[in-house]
Amino acid sequence: MSYIHFPVIAVMTLFMGAFLTVVFGRKSKAVRNILALAASCTAFVLICCLIKPVLIDGEIISYWMGNWSPVEGYAIGIGYEIDQLGMFFALITVFTVLMSCIYSIRYMERDSALDFYNVLFLMLSGSVLGLVLTGDVFNMFIMIEIMTFTSVGLAAFRNNKAGSVEAGFKYLVIGSIGSSMTLFGVAILYGNCHTLNMAQLSSILAGKLTPSTLMAFALMFTGLAVKSYIVPFHTPAADAYTTAPASISMVFSGMVNKAGVYGMIRLVYIIFRAMDKSSVQLLMVIFGVVTMFVGVTMALAQHDFKRLLAFHSISQIGYVITAAGLGSALGLTAGLFHAMNHTLFKGLLFLCAGAVYYAAGTTNLDKLGGLSKKMPKTCICFLIGAFSISGLPPFNGFASKWLVYQAVYEKAVTSGNIFYAFATVAAVVVSVMTLASFIKVTQAVFFGQLPASLENVQEVPALMRLPMWIMSALCVLTGVFYDQVNKWLLAPAAGAALNVSGYIDRMMGEGYAAEAGVVNIPVFAARFSFWNPVVWLLLFIIVLAAFCLAIIGSSGDRASISSAPADAEDGKYATFFSGEKSMPSHVSGSDLFWGFKKNWKGYFKVMDGIHSGRVNDYALYVVCAAALITVFVFGFVR
Amino acid sequence: MIIVNYIASVVLVVLGLYVIMTKKHLIKIVLGMSIVDYGINLFIVSTGFNEGGTAPIYKMSEFFRGSFFVDPVPQALTLTSIVIGACVDAMALSLVVKLYKQYHTTNSDEIRRLRG
Repeated sequence: MSYIHFPVIAVMTLFMGAFLTVVFGRKSKAVRNILALAASCTAFVLICCLIKPVLIDGEIISYWMGNWSPVEGYAIGIGYEIDQLGMFFALITVFTVLMSCIYSIRYMERDSALDFYNVLFLMLSGSVLGLVLTGDVFNMFIMIEIMTFTSVGLAAFRNNKAGSVEAGFKYLVIGSIGSSMTLFGVAILYGNCHTLNMAQLSSILAGKLTPSTLMAFALMFTGLAVKSYIVPFHTPAADAYTTAPASISMVFSGMVNKAGVYGMIRLVYIIFRAMDKSSVQLLMVIFGVVTMFVGVTMALAQHDFKRLLAFHSISQIGYVITAAGLGSALGLTAGLFHAMNHTLFKGLLFLCAGAVYYAAGTTNLDKLGGLSKKMPKTCICFLIGAFSISGLPPFNGFASKWLVYQAVYEKAVTSGNIFYAFATVAAVVVSVMTLASFIKVTQAVFFGQLPASLENVQEVPALMRLPMWIMSALCVLTGVFYDQVNKWLLAPAAGAALNVSGYIDRMMGEGYAAEAGVVNIPVFAARFSFWNPVVWLLLFIIVLAAFCLAIIGSSGDRASISSAPADAEDGKYATFFSGEKSMPSHVSGSDLFWGFKKNWKGYFKVMDGIHSGRVNDYALYVVCAAALITVFVFGFVR
Repeated sequence: MIIVNYIASVVLVVLGLYVIMTKKHLIKIVLGMSIVDYGINLFIVSTGFNEGGTAPIYKMSEFFRGSFFVDPVPQALTLTSIVIGACVDAMALSLVVKLYKQYHTTNSDEIRRLRG
């Protein structure tokens, strides 16, 4: 039974690592690296030790800090509770931390003040792990705050680079509005229920939606949505992912983002148990679809490698929210699967971007090109990541996206709501645009012409490639063995979110849930129809559509090229196939879709106005969205 | 008159958000963030208040069912929240100093290199 202490020890190890780095890591680089690596390895091993009891045996671990167990049915102390859902996100977290830690050893070696980097990194890791393991809403708020501070510090870490302090400031303003709203919601809940324990809140709030609890729901929903950076709260995330070091961008999109998603799932599925209400489902799916679409179209317009990846990251979170917002077992499974896969492939892509920055010194797509000859191994990793995120079989992105389509389509059929049919189409179209966008990036960075300034580029060190290889391998493995992943990871996690009574009973004592009138929702096993011929037809259509988009994008420029001395036809195809100096191309690889952008000029103009860079505007979006959510919740949630 | 506290706290939060949304000076934005925090702190500490209750300090022998005191948990929460709010302000102000050194302005209209 000693493993019940492991979750707390894992969180404490990461925080202790941070404090020890402050004391001992000042002078020596070796001590610093060993401390960071030891802390993250320890956390990884401790959480992995919990796989057997929690995920395989189905036990839920509860842990009362200082042994303050409930008195007469009221939770007084701070409790940690690890159910399968929290365990799933904890595994994602510790994996991301370990990979980032290994990568940063060589990647960050040219920066100064690395002791602060390690302190902030370990505190960020500890806070996210604490957030996913805690069973107390106020503790969750504290962890969110620590997460926000350390994220700001890390986003502004390279403060000699243009824009990084600016990104940090915007992140802090928007993030603190989000956490203030969470705190306000928590306070209202406490005023109503006189408890902060999630399990007890869940049993008290069952079916009792008074105006004040609805207000708390709207505020907490907004606060946690800000933390998962869905549209319209995404603006500081795009900046922070761009300016942070790549090892941190990976952490941001791999687990900080997921912490917000976890919070939303915990809020709607467990604390309020509101997912059987079609209005809440609609709210989440609307946000998800808007996020998907805005993210991917903004990505098409970017000229910076990491900023482009940042917008894709936002877009993929839209898939997760859409699927998780369906409220069905299939939808939640799809959402969790895509969340996990997003950590793998997006982390991999950010690490590749970091490798390009390390080797070439820039992430500007207009200045890069032809790196596949100089960095073939990075290129292979990048291609695996790009195929995964675009949803090509047999990579993991395909398996989870297919499951998302299936879930949304099933919802459209069962509910008969035309909006869900639209959402299915939107999900497929966004996937097409993702593929199109990654054709552009691959073209702009790894193929095409090698600029003269990049002649001396070398492949990155092996220690940086190691996490990239591990993540590439996992991208393929989780795509091929999707049914094993479903059986051991996703099904228990989705089951835990849908069957709340076990969670409540473990924390508050046997029979507590039944007394409070908690009813479990039966879980149907999610079916994969993966090798269905229709799938391959659909895939063919997606690829064809992406190429059509690419052709349309580049054929629009024929008129302007015809006045150029070189042959127009050659100029066009050179963009795709040549790497030769004798065939200069007129459209740079990074601007492959300028024809497309020209056709959509009005839309992009509006989007450009929205992403104005003013922190006041960004705050305005958050407040307006909060107001809209509140009105929606009061008007439609019954 | 606990209802006055609730109204005041909401007014403070709304004022703070208004400041963040409309003022261009970065220091004013930071002040707006702290006003939001203060409004919420007032709200939390008010939720635990009981009219006529005593301070929540008891020995186990003096403690019986029906002891009437103010709820200590919100006070602990408020303390935590005040500390966090102070950290937010300190961090935001230090970022403003950095920003002023780099951009030579504190006007949020001119601090927008990252956009689009």
